[in-house]
Amino acid sequence: MKQALDDMDKKANSPADLRVGVYVCHCGKNIGSTVDCEAVAQFASTLPHVTLAKDSLYTCSEPGQEQIKTDIREQKLNRVVVASCTPRLHEPTFRAACESAGLNPYLLEMANIREHCSWVHLHEREAATSKAKDLVAMAVARAVRLEPQFELSVPVKRSSLVIGGGVAGIQAALDMADAGYQVYLVEKSGSIGGRMAQIDKTFPTMDCSICILAPKMSEVGRHPNIQMLTLSEIKEVTGHIGNFKVKILKKARYVTDGCTACGDCIQACPQLAPDEFNAGLSIRRAIYIPFAQAVPSRYLVDMGLCLNNQGIVACDRCFQACTRKCIDFADQDKIVEIEVGTIVVATGVDVYDPTALTELGYGRFPNVITTLEFERLINAGGPSSGELIRPSDRKRPKNIAFLQCIGSRSKRSNPYCSNVCCMNTIKDALLIKEHWPETEVFVFYIDIRAFGKGFEDLFQRARREGVTFIRGIPGEIIEDISNGNLTLLGENTLLGTQYRYTMEMVILSVGIKPRSDAPIVQRLLNLSTDTDGFYMEAHPKLRPVDTTTGGVFLAGAAEGPKDIKDSVTQASAAASRANILMSKGEVKIPAVTARINTDKCVACGLCAKVCPYHAIEGSKELGYYRVVEAMCQGCGACVPECKFGALDQAHFSDAQIVSQIHEALANEPERKIIAFACNWCSYAGADFAGVSRIQYPDNVRIIRTMCSARVAPEWIELAFSMGAGAVLVSGCHPSDCHYNNANQNTARRVEKFWKRLDKLGLNKDRLRLAWVSAAEGAQFAKVIKEMEQGLRELTPDQVLETKQKLAKRVPRKGEPV
Amino acid sequence: MTVKLWNFFPREALYECYQCARCTGSCPALEVAEALGPRETILKCLNLGHDEVVEDERLWVCCTCNVCEDRCPQKIPISDLLVALRNSAARRGNIPDKLQIAIELLAKTGRSMIVHQLDEMRAHHGLAPLMPVPIDEVREVLKKTKLDDVIEF
Repeated sequence: MKQALDDMDKKANSPADLRVGVYVCHCGKNIGSTVDCEAVAQFASTLPHVTLAKDSLYTCSEPGQEQIKTDIREQKLNRVVVASCTPRLHEPTFRAACESAGLNPYLLEMANIREHCSWVHLHEREAATSKAKDLVAMAVARAVRLEPQFELSVPVKRSSLVIGGGVAGIQAALDMADAGYQVYLVEKSGSIGGRMAQIDKTFPTMDCSICILAPKMSEVGRHPNIQMLTLSEIKEVTGHIGNFKVKILKKARYVTDGCTACGDCIQACPQLAPDEFNAGLSIRRAIYIPFAQAVPSRYLVDMGLCLNNQGIVACDRCFQACTRKCIDFADQDKIVEIEVGTIVVATGVDVYDPTALTELGYGRFPNVITTLEFERLINAGGPSSGELIRPSDRKRPKNIAFLQCIGSRSKRSNPYCSNVCCMNTIKDALLIKEHWPETEVFVFYIDIRAFGKGFEDLFQRARREGVTFIRGIPGEIIEDISNGNLTLLGENTLLGTQYRYTMEMVILSVGIKPRSDAPIVQRLLNLSTDTDGFYMEAHPKLRPVDTTTGGVFLAGAAEGPKDIKDSVTQASAAASRANILMSKGEVKIPAVTARINTDKCVACGLCAKVCPYHAIEGSKELGYYRVVEAMCQGCGACVPECKFGALDQAHFSDAQIVSQIHEALANEPERKIIAFACNWCSYAGADFAGVSRIQYPDNVRIIRTMCSARVAPEWIELAFSMGAGAVLVSGCHPSDCHYNNANQNTARRVEKFWKRLDKLGLNKDRLRLAWVSAAEGAQFAKVIKEMEQGLRELTPDQVLETKQKLAKRVPRKGEPV
Repeated sequence: MTVKLWNFFPREALYECYQCARCTGSCPALEVAEALGPRETILKCLNLGHDEVVEDERLWVCCTCNVCEDRCPQKIPISDLLVALRNSAARRGNIPDKLQIAIELLAKTGRSMIVHQLDEMRAHHGLAPLMPVPIDEVREVLKKTKLDDVIEF
């Protein structure tokens, strides 16, 4: 391996030509207060090929960037190393600075001394400084082996797919369609409209929800640039940013376009089921329209309920009743294939089901209902035509209690605040007071979170209108079976007294949670989710609607609980981000593709077998294989597969990574943990540990690859034969891999290495495989802590034994000896 | 003797509490007596320190039925907290008199209440007299729990 390194070094610039500039950033106090940046810069200046090394307060600032540009021009720097924050944040910034000074942007290297150093070793100045020096040395070693790369530009199709037809999906579709792009709006149910269509009024303005939504829905229906696909689900997504190929399952509606929604068919239908749109409070037929304002305004047949569900026409009453003969029992599911340049995910949320909280009696006591049920109950189009009645006796309740935070802020259900329930309750309480002022309304709460524009006003108004707010959630509800009234037992925490209230109706203000089918879309699009199951944005502050999958954007509550206004805002933002891509018409893809040296290739074809994108073509007959660069996504899974040294990955070459390993293990290798982390999940997870200031041992040295599948067993072997204490290989969770499950190769290779260690009689616990997602900073820290614990039990003899046994192996075919 | 309360209970768990009072609303002891509600207990531990809480005699009304814990949205082991607080209180000598008598009785007779009248009642209902208690064994058990550190018997 060392020989290979030297070979590759010779191929690159001759050492005399290399001029590296190192910039150590204080990041204000973020790095400076923990790491002695001056000492690090001083140390960097002693490293080979380093022409100059400086420390600055904010390297990313305009003067900081200017300094780099000036030095590139005046000092003839041909490699730049910036030791600062994570490359996931400012690599584009510094690459642009290099490029504008005439240096190829791929000749920049960053040392992450903030997220991976100063923030995770806050109180250990000496250790953090010494680690920062190591990280800089690793970066310099890698920098001198960097090569200029040129990015390939791919065309972006001027069309977009919007998944989900709620208000966010509708807004995103309209914004893109109005900008002139073709939009496919896919909705799982029979009509667009989503949750907003179910809600009676909106807060804080008390607008009628469907009245403001319906015009937008019909605009979608008649927009020449929007093709609406209802009763449809995404089945397969292939391709990449700019050119996605999507297979959509369009389920049979059994009602043709000729339907005028006259409703003659419903009376004829003998089959009944709870109406989902009315939250199960009313019934519908097997042939039905989801709701009056549905778009498309067409009936549909619920074939699961219809008597003809066995494939034979057992009942044709609706067909007979339909004067236009629009019912077609022969209708079949179809697969629709489309090609789009961008995708907006607006899959929305489910509401929490409080049945599990048995002390509240939901599902057992008829007069305990949820807020969604209440919305339908007081809606003019709802089951009671807007009359306020309670389910048990259909009489108007004299007093009503709202219970907040049901299914939110709890380890027993969803740990997060659902964002909308406080204001929704206040709105509902005001609605009751407005229409039935004699009704007493009590709100049992923990905290009222009225943070938005106009929210506090609404809260105060509710109090003035006579809504009683009581701090303290009831612990138990007891039903009086003689009259259906409910007794609430609890404590008024502000008064410090026990209460017992008897209410005629109780409304549980239930939280919202990611849709149960959210993981399907997540897998299809390679998205990440946070610990709560919501889709994760590429950056929480600065790229809030982007995802880590290029060309895919987020809108609405699928990204996190939010109200209508925020959903619409985010939808417009997502549409705008997609519009930028589509209006440019092309996008540059990072030059991190795999490259095959045809001279060394023996056409065994092993690489092509592991490529998750089928981007390697060739055959034994041709005598070689080659990488189709436009299709290669740069995971590097193929590279370790080649046993003949014919494959390498641009910008993540063997020589570059091996040099990092050498530097990382230069001093006290037995104390060190070499951690290979994939760019999308584990490296980001380690970043997240930093952002969250989760402290962990300082002896880990993180090496970034695009995918964990790039990690070559030879690297692990090298690390151990250099005396490394432990090696961690970490990547995205299985099935969350950003490269189409390339990380199954990671697992396979690590398992093979474990077997080898076993055979040699070596402790295999020193090689660890861990799946760490971008949200699991704590998990990353935990793994490192555990590994460090293991290091403490490691004896010098064990290290030596591993070194010797691994070094003794016979070199494989094609490998330099 | 002093014992560190937080050796018996993970103090961090208290910070999970956001005072929703579902626990107090579920408390059967509070329905019938002047007890120290679980919510109040946690808040006092956080704001005033447990030294103040262990002085409070209402601490002993809790029957450790665990309902508060079952319903706690934050899964705080409230019963464990109550037990830890009582341990701490007992070691400082803050045991209600009635309880002290009960423990002494237990050590002397093997039963926590006086039962000779019970035998008459049992005989009246045709039940056999209560089995004798192996007092030495009971005392052995009590000593192993180190109860004699707190109360002399």
